[in-house]
Amino acid sequence: MDLSLTIGGPQGGGIDTSSNMINRAFAEAGYNVFGVREYHSNIKGRHSYNHLRVKEERPRSLKYPVDILVALDPDTIFEHLEDIGEGTKIIYDKSFETSDLAQARLIMRDTARRIKDALDSASVPNTIKGALELAKKKGGIPMAIPFSEVVTKAISEGPASRYFNTLGSAITLSIAGLDQKFAEEAIKQVFSSKPKAVEENVKVVAGAYDYAKENGFAGKQLKVLPKIKRLLLTGNDGAAMGKLMGGLRFQTYYPITPASDESSIMEEHEHLKYVKTEQNKLREGGVVVVQTEDEISAVTMAQGAALTGSRSSTATSGPGFSLMAEGISFAGMDEVPIVITLYQRGGPSTGLPTRNGQSDLLFAMNTGHGEFPRMVISSGDVEECVYDSMRALNYAHRYQLPVIHLIDKNLANTTDLVPDIDLKKVKVNQAVRPTTTRLSFKRYNLDTESGISEMGYFGNDVFWMTGDEHDEIGHVTEDPMVRDMQMRKRFRKLETALNEIPVEEMAQLLGEKNADVTFVTWGSQKGPILDVIDDLKEEGIKANLLYIKMFEPFPEEFVKQVLGKAKLVINVESNMLAQAAKVIKLNTGIDIQNNILKYNGRHMTEDEILKAAKEIISGKGKNLVEVLENGA
Amino acid sequence: MAHNFKSDIAVDWCPGCGDFGILTSITQALTELNLDPKNVIATSGIGCSGKTPHYLNIAGVHTLHGRSIPFATGIKLSNPNLKVIVPGGDGDMLGIGAGHFVAEGRRNSGLTIMIFDNEVYGLTKGQAAPTMALGEKTKSLARANVFTKVNPITLALTAGYSFVARGFSFDMKQLKEIIKTAILHEGSSVIDILQPCPTYNNINTMEWYRQRVYKLDDDKTWDPVITPGNEAQAAEKFQKAYEKGSEWGDRIPTGIFYDNRTIPSFHKRLNEFVPSYYSNPPATQVVTGSDGYTPIDVEATFPEKIIH
Repeated sequence: MDLSLTIGGPQGGGIDTSSNMINRAFAEAGYNVFGVREYHSNIKGRHSYNHLRVKEERPRSLKYPVDILVALDPDTIFEHLEDIGEGTKIIYDKSFETSDLAQARLIMRDTARRIKDALDSASVPNTIKGALELAKKKGGIPMAIPFSEVVTKAISEGPASRYFNTLGSAITLSIAGLDQKFAEEAIKQVFSSKPKAVEENVKVVAGAYDYAKENGFAGKQLKVLPKIKRLLLTGNDGAAMGKLMGGLRFQTYYPITPASDESSIMEEHEHLKYVKTEQNKLREGGVVVVQTEDEISAVTMAQGAALTGSRSSTATSGPGFSLMAEGISFAGMDEVPIVITLYQRGGPSTGLPTRNGQSDLLFAMNTGHGEFPRMVISSGDVEECVYDSMRALNYAHRYQLPVIHLIDKNLANTTDLVPDIDLKKVKVNQAVRPTTTRLSFKRYNLDTESGISEMGYFGNDVFWMTGDEHDEIGHVTEDPMVRDMQMRKRFRKLETALNEIPVEEMAQLLGEKNADVTFVTWGSQKGPILDVIDDLKEEGIKANLLYIKMFEPFPEEFVKQVLGKAKLVINVESNMLAQAAKVIKLNTGIDIQNNILKYNGRHMTEDEILKAAKEIISGKGKNLVEVLENGA
Repeated sequence: MAHNFKSDIAVDWCPGCGDFGILTSITQALTELNLDPKNVIATSGIGCSGKTPHYLNIAGVHTLHGRSIPFATGIKLSNPNLKVIVPGGDGDMLGIGAGHFVAEGRRNSGLTIMIFDNEVYGLTKGQAAPTMALGEKTKSLARANVFTKVNPITLALTAGYSFVARGFSFDMKQLKEIIKTAILHEGSSVIDILQPCPTYNNINTMEWYRQRVYKLDDDKTWDPVITPGNEAQAAEKFQKAYEKGSEWGDRIPTGIFYDNRTIPSFHKRLNEFVPSYYSNPPATQVVTGSDGYTPIDVEATFPEKIIH
């Protein structure tokens, strides 16, 4: 089985609840689910949707066309005409049919114009009826369901529209052939704390299954797979979990999409629970999460906490990260261990505040005035978010510098069913505090080969810190010799890091060693490209992936070695300037000619990467740069 | 022997600078409170006042311009057992860092904020600071100041600071006592310190201030303190503080305007959510298990994420 679906409706109309229900129902039956949430910068009304994929093995990407499109409002049908292909079942409320595009005021005007053009050129009316005619021409199968009627039959009280999302999900599950008990179990999980809601929604599920059966929609019974323990996590969840596992005890943030969810999740779990073997050994603990007045405060307050020995971090997105620049420069100069998790979204400026982007790589590598060592790492799937968040804290404390952890919006809002978390995958080191008070402590001791001086702790040691160049105990100096020595000491830490960190934490060659095509990427394209590699294999093309996880310090030797042997290299990124390719060129001198790029803010899908790659591989592509455009 | 709270770094403020009086008042206050030097931290911003931590023999952070408050808050929230004093300039606190200044009033996390108030940006050669009055023309200004001034006392009160006072750098006896009371105050305190800049401010000189300052507690009925159980007095005492805080001109009041000991500190508020906070704050937590791996039980901490 390989089921793709889109469920769309008005923002605030329960889209997340229905996706959650679909995900949990399939998970209960042993299947794997994977999905991405797309939404406007809006609270109520504008179009939002979840793009999902269900498979027996773990899905790593999404694709178009979808098998089922669930429309909880008329806008969804207008917005997703492009997602419809041969056999796409379109589930919608019969009452939508009379809706006119001209009345769809919350569709962005430019989008409405494009939809109008599509309807006009197919010579169909500018209504849902017309849109469904066009859908049929594409091979789509409209399935009108009388939403209100089905709901009212199932439960008498309350407005029927409140249950449309449950109805849409339940019809979908029924079409997919999933046993009703899994849908009911999912309802119990989704509405766990509200028994009345469980009761009502279970009735709606029953109504939907009955309706589907009576009308011949119900799919062939799906087999049930053995169930194993897994975690249903987003990238935001993964990062929050990883940080707490990695010893984070102080987090700051200023609200911003798509970063704040990470901090909210921590606030919900601020009281920590220990594994049994440690319960009697450790004192009760918790994480302090502070919503600050701005991102300048977020990055500096986190540093204040770090000076007392806490593992601390902040999380933000492009606009907030811009405000943090001066503070990051201080952390570089003063060797303060902090992690900044940078959730990239479409820029510049406010840009596409709720959409995907990878355009902050070069900025992350160059943020802050002056020259100072930093580390820049990146995650490409939800599990990596967990373990990389732990590693980021380790790096920050080992090398005493700011670590910028890049996660893209697509990954932040990806829902993935992750196998059980491995508590023993990444070690967590405890800060060793001195037992005596050290006055005039040499916090910036120059006598160090690694560049790492012994950490000092406020509350134990007396030393000074200043954004100015400083001597070994931290007082201001403008002495030219000490300046040179401190600069070299700070930068030696990066050499040490490069020597100590296993190369697979920096870059990996995934797939066959020898291949005709070598993809290069970072971030959330990892999954889609691995699927594309499988697709190409079926067509007799051998491909592999150079997957980059660390940009500073850069695994120059490894990348040189892989690309030096590669035949056809295709770089894939969600930005316009091919930023990772620029970093590769800067570090290795290797100039990657072929690029597949996307900057419309939507997630890359398997089908579009495959199509673009084949254009390049076949030599038929007119351009060295293929620009992808999928997504509503 | 008692700890010498004065460091051995040569002080490079201008001769006659009001900052010397503040420095002496701080070191005397720390000595008289008999604080353990490892448990007091000073964080400053940028400018002449920013150098203060280097002159103190306690741990210190000379942070970024305007950012001493968030650094200090991070230290204090991570380890509530530390005392954090925050010497900063009027530009630091009320110009570039004004957002942090207001936010800290709302937090009340237990910082001792000292505003070195001389109405000018000294280290950059005397530009007008946020406390300079409209139309004032000190000798370093090309033309008269075009901004109205912000009042540190009434701003601090409005922002929610639970302790608000004013000192004068040439009255070290009074200033030292104010600093001592402020350090012992559980919530955050603001001390506006009148501090003549002899190099760039030829209007608000030591003499100018001497002719105007008077002490609030010269009035024997003056009582700015609100103790637990007496919350009902807060509104009236706040009003009085605001009225006195608004006085400026021929007479300038000094002393403690407002001392409300009933507003819960940020630590108390945090402890409501994380009951282990006081006994085991972030700075003292052991974050690794006996095997060197995370001690966190993922399933128990995030039960809603598990699919069984």
